[in-house]
Amino acid sequence: MSIQLRFGPVLDAWRELAAGIWLTLQLSAGAMVLGLLLAIGCAWLKLYGPRPARFAVNVYVEVVRNTPFLVQIFFIFFGLPAAGLRLSPDAAALLALVVNVGAYATEIIRAGIESVSHGQVEAGLALGLRRLQVFRLVVLKPALRAVYPALTSQFILLMLTSSVVSAISANDLTSVANNVQSRTFTSFEVYIVVTLIYLALSLAFSALFAAIDRRVFAYPVAR
Amino acid sequence: MTRHLTRRDTLAGLAALTALGLAGLRPAAAQTVDEIKKRGVLNIGLLVDFPPFGITNLQGQPDGFDADIAKDLAKDLGVRANLVAVTGPNRIPYLLTGQVDMLVASLAITAERAKQVAFSVPYAGIRIVVYGKTSAVVKEPEDLKKYTVGVARTSTQDVSLSAIAPAGTNIRRFDDDASAVQALLSGQVDIIGAATPVVGEIEKIAPKGAFDTKLTLREQVHGIALRPGQDDLLKAVNAFVEKQKASGALNATFRKWLNTDLPELKTPALGG
Repeated sequence: MSIQLRFGPVLDAWRELAAGIWLTLQLSAGAMVLGLLLAIGCAWLKLYGPRPARFAVNVYVEVVRNTPFLVQIFFIFFGLPAAGLRLSPDAAALLALVVNVGAYATEIIRAGIESVSHGQVEAGLALGLRRLQVFRLVVLKPALRAVYPALTSQFILLMLTSSVVSAISANDLTSVANNVQSRTFTSFEVYIVVTLIYLALSLAFSALFAAIDRRVFAYPVAR
Repeated sequence: MTRHLTRRDTLAGLAALTALGLAGLRPAAAQTVDEIKKRGVLNIGLLVDFPPFGITNLQGQPDGFDADIAKDLAKDLGVRANLVAVTGPNRIPYLLTGQVDMLVASLAITAERAKQVAFSVPYAGIRIVVYGKTSAVVKEPEDLKKYTVGVARTSTQDVSLSAIAPAGTNIRRFDDDASAVQALLSGQVDIIGAATPVVGEIEKIAPKGAFDTKLTLREQVHGIALRPGQDDLLKAVNAFVEKQKASGALNATFRKWLNTDLPELKTPALGG
């Protein structure tokens, strides 16, 4: 017995698939940048902020890291309208991804900041820099460098997690795949193609991260 | 090209043979009202896995809309109802082999089935409808373009709605009915495509007057099925259904289980 694979109907839907890839890319890249900024802010608050702010960040991180992403996205899409905030599926998806990756990245970056030796901070202070300047100019870069591999693998995971947004009808790659397979009954073929696309996207992001690593973090450090 | 015997053909053939061979022998296979009255029991087949039409209640007994109708029918004939649980695939064989006298089993009236069984006038029906915010004005499919429409991906609702919606309609496809309903309730979509049992569930929890039914996309009616040749019994069943319709009892039972009024029950034309 052999399975007949029909890729024709899948390839016919290339416009839809391309639109799905584009949305997946936008959501992933957007969430990476915004999530990184959010995480840097939260990590700073967690280490140096006032007590209530530290407490708030802890609550945020623990809640997000201990609940499923699907529940978070349902909460944002179906729950927030009750509080008067109605987001489109795409905006809700982006917000959910930012909130999610922000929490994970907060912990990663906090670890990075703590790895920077105290001597460097003191050197910065001795030069007359204020606390925030020390953080921005002295601490941040080596901190990010230290946790860069963990951070990028979190971002790749984020891109793969974005497939869940089809649950709130955002038309990302997975959503398009579901639509195509339900219309053409070529589920096996569609998912083969989509798996390859996700793999290609992951590899592309990895290559991009490697390039950033070479440009930004390639400086010698004293050991 | 050889025509292969399908399982369905085999079943139907077996069922017909058994019916022919055993019809005279089996006491269960009552053909007339008099036989049933003499026996004092009406054997009725019904589904128990099709809520809210056929369910199993907490006592493990068949229940639901169909069960209520079956009990009323037996009472009308002045006999006891013996409810027999059947399944979708085996319900017609159960009837044709005389295991039951009739089916009150959410059997949609179709031309193909009418070749095998005798249908009563319709006693129930479900519709796939366009349902949404009362403020949305949808008089014809063209109007859908003005609103955001939610459906469960790949469902009958999705297929029928996509078929009539004009190009450019913002159709949002969710993973299941529950998500589409949630989207309607939270205002993320204005309108959904849904089957009437789902609409009944929504009306139980939604504020009164918030939503209403706009269009009917597709409908099917259910008939009580008998064996061909039970003419006298069929007449009695039809009389019962008409009486229940006229008195409003049928609608009351439908409301009890589906929380919505009976749709219009037109006997479909069974040409061909």
